[in-house]
Amino acid sequence: MYGGGNIFEAPRPDELAAEDPVRLAEFEARIERGEKIEPNDWMPALYRRQLIRMIEQHAHSEIIGALPEGTWITRAPGFRRKLAQMAKVQDEVGHGQLLYSAAETLGKTREQMLTDLITGKSKYSNVFNYPAPTWADSNIISWLIDAGAIVNQLANAKGSYGPYCRALERICVEESFHLKYGHDAVVHLATGSPRQRQMVQEALNRWWPPIMMFFGPPDKLSVHTEILMKWKVKMATNDDMRQQFLDMYVPKIWELGLTLPDPNLRKNDDGVWEYTEPDWAEFKRVINGDGPCNAERLAVRQAAEEQGAWVREALQSRSQGTYVKPLA
Amino acid sequence: MISTPSLLNQMALTSLDPRINRLQLPDYDPNTPPKPALDQFETFEVFHQKKEKAPFTYVGPVHAPNEEVAFLFAKEQYSRRSTCTGIWVARTRHILVSLYTDELTPVYEVLEKPRQPGQGPEEAFEIFELKKRGKAHTHAGTVRAASPEEALWRAKEAFAKPACVNIWVVRAQDLLRTGEEDKDLWRSTAEKKYREAADYRVMDKINTFKAGTQS
Repeated sequence: MYGGGNIFEAPRPDELAAEDPVRLAEFEARIERGEKIEPNDWMPALYRRQLIRMIEQHAHSEIIGALPEGTWITRAPGFRRKLAQMAKVQDEVGHGQLLYSAAETLGKTREQMLTDLITGKSKYSNVFNYPAPTWADSNIISWLIDAGAIVNQLANAKGSYGPYCRALERICVEESFHLKYGHDAVVHLATGSPRQRQMVQEALNRWWPPIMMFFGPPDKLSVHTEILMKWKVKMATNDDMRQQFLDMYVPKIWELGLTLPDPNLRKNDDGVWEYTEPDWAEFKRVINGDGPCNAERLAVRQAAEEQGAWVREALQSRSQGTYVKPLA
Repeated sequence: MISTPSLLNQMALTSLDPRINRLQLPDYDPNTPPKPALDQFETFEVFHQKKEKAPFTYVGPVHAPNEEVAFLFAKEQYSRRSTCTGIWVARTRHILVSLYTDELTPVYEVLEKPRQPGQGPEEAFEIFELKKRGKAHTHAGTVRAASPEEALWRAKEAFAKPACVNIWVVRAQDLLRTGEEDKDLWRSTAEKKYREAADYRVMDKINTFKAGTQS
């Protein structure tokens, strides 16, 4: 998981005009040729800032996203599912580590990123501000939120920044297990007893609006996309990714005899999916802190930081060196 | 009895997660003080060998207080999935990084010979090459030199083809390496099929379900 629906910052007025035009042209020509940007290369301040913001949000989403699924490790039905759920949660936290490192290469330290997460300054994927009240909710996250993330991550893996692409390549390989695991768990419930079917249907109904919000606001409400796509920071528009997700996964949901809580959902003859827009006012409200689980997610991270401090201090006291920015 | 009024006065949050409820965590406080600057650990760069005789390839960094812990973190982070037959770890500050060029300009073509020969006896240096931007550095081989800068120049003589866009040089002694005796570290993973995509075959269940609903 879990990158999706990134919130980008508006460029400052005349920001690009202040850049060295020769270097800017060389930078853009490199991207145009399909070459990656590496950490030591010159880059516009806006590119650096937006990448830090995007990769940091992605990293936060990985470690916060591990919480609703982690909730179900101890209650997963059966030993094998407990092991698989644990392996998946471990992967997500590992993805966070990969992504924090990629963001560090751009000059923001891990401490700053974790402080910004805990104080609410940095955001993470909005879907994790919703609860997973049943095992079926956890399965829906494993399958469909991971599916959405894969759509997003496969696109971004073709982006322009080398360290982020390398991290995503590694992440996508591990995500294939998550996707299959989640699909298997949902199929198990959907093809099981009437009670199991009811449970997974109710979970799907709960999660469908957050899933539709996962890719971010519609293109007509998204600003600053043009320059980010030119620089290959953003590789597809929110609506394009949402369409791709619907095309790949709605048929898989329907083939299980499950329904989706949107009477307007259908594929037109031209191949474009029609759907009811989710409540974007709710999206904004939740991302700004007023969701059902925002406070809990951040309280858990805050406690982990505070309660782990003595371990870091103890290890640091025996440390032989000081922090250096990762190379790549 | 020792009391902690600052904690007791705060309402513990209620969660769907029983583990969190058992912890009785205080409510979230957005006014948390910032983490101290650079209280994290030193960084190490990790190289991974996927199978016997394959070149060691860069997989990413870890933060750790020393190289033994860096190795443990590296093993968890970079070799808990798929196959692995070896790991090398080096402190980031021990790696000399050449300039980055591009596919039009191989980096060996723009290297300049060190103005002064290295001081002291020659020793072994490991050379890692980046063939293409966005890919990962791969071990090209070992050269002997009296300094990292001289090793870079010797690498040009030894490995100038095929072209590459960046080179890392590490003193051989500065690499922590797994050996033959460590290979059993990765032998325990073969039966962990539950964490492999190939172990989840859903089509049989779906087809049975569909056949049942159609009959």
